[in-house]
Amino acid sequence: MSVLREIVVLSGKGGAGKTCITASLGAVLPEAKVFCDADVDAPNLELLLAPEILEEEPFESGLRAEIDPGACTGCGRCEAACRFRAVVVRDGRARVDAFACEGCGVCALVCPERAVSFVSVVQGRLFRSRTVLGRFEHARLRPGGANSGKLVQLLRRRARETALREGVSVLLVDGPPGIACPAISSLAGANAALLVTEPTDSARADLLRIAELAGRFRVPFGIVLNKADLSREGARRTEELCAERRWPLLARFPFVEEIPRCIARREVPAKPLGEELHHLAERLSLLLPKAAECRMGV
Amino acid sequence: METIPITLPEERRKVPFRLAVASGKGGTGKSCVAASLILAAEDRVLAVDADVECPNLGGLLDWEKWESAPVRIPRPQVDPDRCDGCGACADACRFSAMLVFGKGPARVNDLCHGCGACALVCPKGAIFEEGVPVGWMTRGRGRGRDVLEGRLSVGQANPVPVLEELLAVAVGKGRDLVVDCPPGTSCSLVAALRLCSEALFVTECTPFGAADLSLALDVAEALQKPAMVVLNRSDLGDGGAEELCRRRNIPVVARFPFSRAIAEAYASGIPPYLVDEAWRSAMDALWAELKERSR
Repeated sequence: MSVLREIVVLSGKGGAGKTCITASLGAVLPEAKVFCDADVDAPNLELLLAPEILEEEPFESGLRAEIDPGACTGCGRCEAACRFRAVVVRDGRARVDAFACEGCGVCALVCPERAVSFVSVVQGRLFRSRTVLGRFEHARLRPGGANSGKLVQLLRRRARETALREGVSVLLVDGPPGIACPAISSLAGANAALLVTEPTDSARADLLRIAELAGRFRVPFGIVLNKADLSREGARRTEELCAERRWPLLARFPFVEEIPRCIARREVPAKPLGEELHHLAERLSLLLPKAAECRMGV
Repeated sequence: METIPITLPEERRKVPFRLAVASGKGGTGKSCVAASLILAAEDRVLAVDADVECPNLGGLLDWEKWESAPVRIPRPQVDPDRCDGCGACADACRFSAMLVFGKGPARVNDLCHGCGACALVCPKGAIFEEGVPVGWMTRGRGRGRDVLEGRLSVGQANPVPVLEELLAVAVGKGRDLVVDCPPGTSCSLVAALRLCSEALFVTECTPFGAADLSLALDVAEALQKPAMVVLNRSDLGDGGAEELCRRRNIPVVARFPFSRAIAEAYASGIPPYLVDEAWRSAMDALWAELKERSR
């Protein structure tokens, strides 16, 4: 039986090309694969993979306080105790701001009237889909939703299960931007990470932060320099940074106007990425044996 | 939460406005728009970088950092001499952050949200809270503008406390604010938008940009914040974003085509306002309109 290799595509900075690289890599990798979109609050991979949804279920996570207006006397103890400024007393009655409430229960602990109860919150929906390139696990967080890190964890677990059940050896995870909870949840325990960057000062600063995070989680990673021709000087600096830190620079892609056109047609932009995409697929396998060693604690 | 002793010149104005520059999708040009608008503004505006996971506004304003202070969140500490392992804290904690084994003292893990429930229920008074640093707030000045930046420490999972502390300090200054927001449509966008008075969303014109803009507009609507849109790289993609704005009745305040010259300047930290006439006149006009409206 083949070992499952889970590769997560991250960037720190948004808009570097994570989704395009994930989908295109999936299109050229010869092995069977499963896709997972871990950018749950701005999920775009579904726009390229045209999924046929097989299963759908709500993602319930966390609680939200509700206050019985008949029992509440407006004493304000809940407002004073809430650390998230989620309870405000107005017109003699406590009201809960659904966006701010974390469901911690402190308001109920201090309420002398027992006026607080809790309801579970649907933070989004989970989908299990089929695409022409392979199975696809994705989700949509409700706008303004919380617990995206937990949703990503759940999504990755589902994707691993699907991969193992289908006997698939590669799991490609399209990660979120940033370095906080959903990025951490995408990275932790992955076999390898591709860090997509641009030849700009901003992207380089963000690359340093996401690389530090990957290092902390001991996930081996390689760099993909996207839109490299937009700044010759910027590309040189990024290459220097990679050389200095001994980060493997796995591929360089130019900025190609055909890519946004492909996205507009909802096509995977593998073709405009050219030969270099195939090189990236090959070099990825060079990164992966290291991943296996790393997992065994070498 | 501890107040950060950052001093900025106070100014009294009647209705300072607080503009959130946000996007949904990342990399659409938020920081370029924010920096350009800040340069179009008079020098009393305060530039706030609320993209605390990946802050880049200071770089675009070529800033000099003046002063930094840690942002702390309350973390429970257990006094092992007083704790008898009764487990009341573990029962009260909704986040599984308190663990009690046998009669040993309770232990706190990273799942803690800092809500204070454990200290509230402890019958022995064994739990007290201590501020632990999760990020930094830095003030400085660049291109003639005051800048306030929030920065989450690498490895920290929750950006919201840093964002909230940053915005509370910024709002407390009583000045006009231009706030460079985090990408996405989740809790960190909510935290940034809540304390702003209106939102300017920057989108690219691909289906990716349009899909994420739609979700971001839902957040603005739920929070009852008026929204405007900048269509960036308006010649790359399709008409979906434009159509979305028309359908939802959201004003489009500027359209900028893709430009290699702008991309190249941005690569070395120079905002479009300084290199492109169309950006300059659009941002000058937008700023004038914002000022007019807030009067």
